[in-house]
Amino acid sequence: MRRLLGLALLILWEVLPRAGFIPSLFLPPLTETLRALVAGGGEYLRHLLLSLYAIGLSMLAACGIGIGAGLLIGSIAPVRRVVQPLASGLYAVPLVILYPLFTAWFGIGPQSKIVFASIYGLLPCFLGTVAGVQTIDRQYVTVARSMKASRWQMVSRVLLPAAIPTVLSAFRVGGALVIVGIVVAEMLTSTEGIGYLITRYRTLLESPRVSAGILVVVALVVAFDSLVRLLERRTRHWRLSTRSA
Amino acid sequence: MSGTVPSAKSGRSGHGLLTWLLGLLVLFGAWQAAYVGELLDPMLLPSVPEVLATAAELIRQPAFLGHAGVTLLEVAAAFAIAVPTGIILGIAIAESPYWSAVLKPVVFLVFSIPKTIFLPMFILAFGINFSQKVGFGVFSTIFIVLISAFSALESVKSEHVRVARAYGATLRQIAFRVYLPSMAPILLEAVRLAMIFNLTGILLAEMYGSRAGLGQLVSNWGENFMLRELLAGILIISAGAILFNEAVRWFETRCEHWRA
Repeated sequence: MRRLLGLALLILWEVLPRAGFIPSLFLPPLTETLRALVAGGGEYLRHLLLSLYAIGLSMLAACGIGIGAGLLIGSIAPVRRVVQPLASGLYAVPLVILYPLFTAWFGIGPQSKIVFASIYGLLPCFLGTVAGVQTIDRQYVTVARSMKASRWQMVSRVLLPAAIPTVLSAFRVGGALVIVGIVVAEMLTSTEGIGYLITRYRTLLESPRVSAGILVVVALVVAFDSLVRLLERRTRHWRLSTRSA
Repeated sequence: MSGTVPSAKSGRSGHGLLTWLLGLLVLFGAWQAAYVGELLDPMLLPSVPEVLATAAELIRQPAFLGHAGVTLLEVAAAFAIAVPTGIILGIAIAESPYWSAVLKPVVFLVFSIPKTIFLPMFILAFGINFSQKVGFGVFSTIFIVLISAFSALESVKSEHVRVARAYGATLRQIAFRVYLPSMAPILLEAVRLAMIFNLTGILLAEMYGSRAGLGQLVSNWGENFMLRELLAGILIISAGAILFNEAVRWFETRCEHWRA
């Protein structure tokens, strides 16, 4: 069913612009997009690698700090009660407006987009992990505490394994935001990366190359999403440790 | 998005205000310490009082208010289109077993792909103008509203509907006494999230290419190293977004008892 639907969408993508229902400046037909992608393959690959490097670093920062702080703060109730409402309130801030600040501070090289994407992905990782820690069965914590577990043991042996399912879904959301954060930053002001390429071709009005770039980014996001989903499925049996099971 | 509810409810608003004051104090304290310690060039990081004074000046300037008005108008237009359309369409899809089987997977698939990367296509299609901003705002908002409408409809218990029917409730009564109270909390959350997505989408669209609006102003200040105005602008926009968000959340907790 799902495959059939995907096929139908691909056919529509080819047929609608060709038949003139959608202006091909807006959405060039699938074959033209693919042709542009193949023709500019080397260039796309070079810029994609530059973006991937930035994405890797930001993901490390965003998810490392977000999940780490989430586990720690989520396990200390008084701190959590102060930080959690603040963090979920801050989630309302449209973070894009921070990007001009970072370009002023760090220049338009890779640093500013790495910092921006890290902050962009940090909050969802943090909030998801904090919520995940709260769903852990209290009995595990009580047992560990009665056995005099240290805080480090509590985090590494009890909270982390029990929270893995929720942490993974926080990683899925946060990681996708990191990818978009990098691409958006590159689209706004940058000299390299796949987002830069998209914007350059947009100003040249070369729609097939623009949609080829967008296609690459969408493929990247979908690949990341399904990879983490696979991991989630692999660790499903750990879900027994959460209260919902 | 679930699992945020089981927090302390009693005396929440007083406690919440204190938390925000504490957070603001920490932010301004760290900022001022960085300024005094000259962590960055003072041109790149002006002091807190300077920026606050600039913010106070800005909100009295007709030019700034004009830009804010443009942004608010775009945000309001996109919101007014996306939310009702999303809710009605979502309910219509979810009520029909055939269309939910066909369309729900599509909606969930598109939802998982971040909308921001499609912004260049909107410029290619509409050019750079008001309708492009509103169109992009609607596009970035409508999927979260659709998905919330799906889950809002799922939250209506079929027993409640059956009991209401058994007592001979009219269609109107079922809609307003059974469906609405059960769906209201989820729909309110949808309004809150929709506004976050909407505002982000429109500000980004303004930063990416625009002649007016807060996003254009902010990116202009950044390019010209007008850090005082830039930081003041960031503070004003953030304060507005947080206030709207907290107001809806406050209303959400008020409606909580409806769900019982």
